[in-house]
Amino acid sequence: MARLATRPIIRLGAALLALFATAASASTLDAVKQRGSLACGVSQGLPGFSDHDAAGKWSGFDVDFCRAVAAAIFDDPNKVTYVPLNAAERFEALHAGKIDLLSRNSSWTFDREASLNLLFAAITYHDGQGFMVLHKPEITSALELDKASICVQKGTTSELNLADYFRANSMTYTLHAYDTIAEVIKALEGGECDVFTTDQSGLYAERGNLSQPNAAVILPDIISKEPLGPAVRADDIAWFNIVKWVAFAIINAEELGIKSSNIDEALASTKPDARRFTGSEGAFGAKLGLANAWAIHAVKDVGNYSEIFERNIGSGSKLAIPRGLNQLWSAGGILYAPPLR
Amino acid sequence: MLANFVRSFPHTRAALIGVAAVTWLAGSVPAGAQVASESAMRETLAIGEEPGRVSTEEVVITEGPYRRQLVFFRTNEVPGTFVIQTSEHFLYVVLGNNRALRYGIGVGRDGFQWSGLVRIVKMAEWPDWTPPPEMIQRQPYLPRFMAGGPGNPLGARAMYLGGTVYRIHGTNQPETIGENISSGCFRLANGDVVDLYSHATVGTKVIIRQAATL
Repeated sequence: MARLATRPIIRLGAALLALFATAASASTLDAVKQRGSLACGVSQGLPGFSDHDAAGKWSGFDVDFCRAVAAAIFDDPNKVTYVPLNAAERFEALHAGKIDLLSRNSSWTFDREASLNLLFAAITYHDGQGFMVLHKPEITSALELDKASICVQKGTTSELNLADYFRANSMTYTLHAYDTIAEVIKALEGGECDVFTTDQSGLYAERGNLSQPNAAVILPDIISKEPLGPAVRADDIAWFNIVKWVAFAIINAEELGIKSSNIDEALASTKPDARRFTGSEGAFGAKLGLANAWAIHAVKDVGNYSEIFERNIGSGSKLAIPRGLNQLWSAGGILYAPPLR
Repeated sequence: MLANFVRSFPHTRAALIGVAAVTWLAGSVPAGAQVASESAMRETLAIGEEPGRVSTEEVVITEGPYRRQLVFFRTNEVPGTFVIQTSEHFLYVVLGNNRALRYGIGVGRDGFQWSGLVRIVKMAEWPDWTPPPEMIQRQPYLPRFMAGGPGNPLGARAMYLGGTVYRIHGTNQPETIGENISSGCFRLANGDVVDLYSHATVGTKVIIRQAATL
């Protein structure tokens, strides 16, 4: 009896689920394939993360993530249509379907997922508030900043985090708040304060503009969490998984020792984890609706995490940001991707 | 002049790749350490030094990623431990509180890289250099013995890694920092090795790590 009664419901449920799944997977990936390009929302211009030259060619850390997703889908990193967005319009552009993916230095927070109906796929860059100290080489830790005079941009979360951090560590400081970053830098170089605090990526960007960059030390301490990563609409789990696993793939590639310069060696490897990565084993790409070589395509065309980082914001770039938190978990950082199996 | 040279070398350091500092001390290899084959070793010995080229204690890396700097570094190792990440060309001195002092280093060429856990067993300032017989055979023009000093390929300081033929030492070729050039030793600019030496004691734990291989 019970079986008879429940069977139609199960059938109905399964049918609904199938409909849902079809509707979802049909949407973004199929639309992208049909269009022949990925619509990727990026910043209008942020050195190292999202830049475009006079010829309209985009480059940067966030841009390379768009390219990696395109490479995983098309084996062609150039099949991307870039949509430059300001901070106010970025999430709406995702909802309106103007973009398939937002790769625009956006922090993953509770409210953005719970209220805006979107999902952050992964953390590609762990940012956070740090301190830059000028002409005080003896200071090696943020805990040695008691009684320091500190410059900050007015009305930012940096100002609030600063107060919290000093209170929590029983330290005092003199605050110098200015409306613009330019004024902050002027005050720092003029000696009105010894320390400048904002997100660490911003500190590295500003250090390059100082008259004596080598006189400035950026302390390794991070006092807040600003996890940056790509976001997608919350209505398409299959697409969410593709974006998420491209991010994980480029991180795992670094951990496995796979890079754009040793693709042939990777394809010939007999190690099981390398074989799963290249698609020789496991047919993981098919489970995402992609070619089984999706992950190796991303690395071949764009590079692994280390290559992308160093080229755009690391030692190969003007910003020269050390890997720090963004080093692999096994090499002193906190960058961690689940295994591909 | 030296300062100018060091300042400009991040852009020109490729110029002298292929010059190896070979240190050849008597001793066995610790359990767990991987060491290159003997034939591979011999091949490296064919590559020459530049004895007599002067590099003083003042020479440090002043710019770029190989400059001595304080970095975020999360580890379970106790403060004072040296961690060498061969593929990054960095040596970290663990300071605790997720921080480390990071130095740029030159490491072993492909095939001469090894990993393991060792301890510093001996330390020396301005070490003498006695090229091994194999080296003399291939490069008969090398001195049989060279007293320590600014022209010595082993540089300003040496820290002997227990039970191995390897050491952490200075160099009179600071432009080779960041390269894979040695036969397995780790080299720093003289000013940087002097600074590192102040963090070392006999018994300091040294962990050598490699990138994954395919």
